[in-house]
Amino acid sequence: MEAAEYQNDPATVIKEWVDKYSDKLYSWCLYKTNSKEIAEDLVQDTFMAAFQAINKFEGKSDPKTWLFSILNNKIADHFRKLYRNPTVKESEVKQGTEASFFETYFDTRGSWQKEQRPNDWQQEDGHLLDNTIFVKVLQSCMSKLSPDCYSAVQLKYLEEKKGEIICQELQITPTNFWQILHRARLQLRRCLEINWFKK
Amino acid sequence: MKKVMQWIMLSCKKATALIEKKLLVKLSFREKVQLKMHKSFCDACTAYEKQSKLIDKLLSKHIHEDVDKIKNGKVVENAELKKRILDKIK
Repeated sequence: MEAAEYQNDPATVIKEWVDKYSDKLYSWCLYKTNSKEIAEDLVQDTFMAAFQAINKFEGKSDPKTWLFSILNNKIADHFRKLYRNPTVKESEVKQGTEASFFETYFDTRGSWQKEQRPNDWQQEDGHLLDNTIFVKVLQSCMSKLSPDCYSAVQLKYLEEKKGEIICQELQITPTNFWQILHRARLQLRRCLEINWFKK
Repeated sequence: MKKVMQWIMLSCKKATALIEKKLLVKLSFREKVQLKMHKSFCDACTAYEKQSKLIDKLLSKHIHEDVDKIKNGKVVENAELKKRILDKIK
């Protein structure tokens, strides 16, 4: 396709892309957000943004790659929003349970609760991700995280950015960010130990 | 001596927080010493750090492998959404 085509008849070009790529974009977004409604909205926004900005697409890169990069920005925006403004109810719960969250894992002096102490995991990494049952366990452990923890984990790995940059974009201090990741890690580690490594 | 110990000693709760911090940003000199000391006598936190690094590696790999799988097949079809978007583009 020549560059001119994108400018002369953008609607036709975009329609062709919707036909070809919308299911792939939707699948990815659904997997990331765990919500049909949000995934549909973000995919629609992606195509609308692409339609608006089609003259910036030079036809040199693969349209699929271009669309995925627009979508990933939208997904990251979504998690940033979710992270910054958890619903009122959630943020109340968060404050109320901050202390009791840690009580589960540590005693009053900050030592591990006896039954929570990490045990050595016999099985080493190897090819864990090739094991579909392990991947299911990992996903189910992720889905049990609270929205702010889940968003923090997604943001950390989605963009492969340096910690400092993620924090700047969230307009929070690095301290806040790694404290949330700390809580996420404690939960994930425990969940994986119980559901996988102990077996 | 008591002061030195206070400067160095960490609880497991704080040690695991530092382990997390270390995966994200650089630790200060004091934090490095504290963590090293703590791990030298705490098997649980030593295991915790190893496992945190493993989870870190798995998550980052998992997230990228997945996008490749979806880009090259394995999709959830959503014909309604497709139609909705096509109607919007005029």
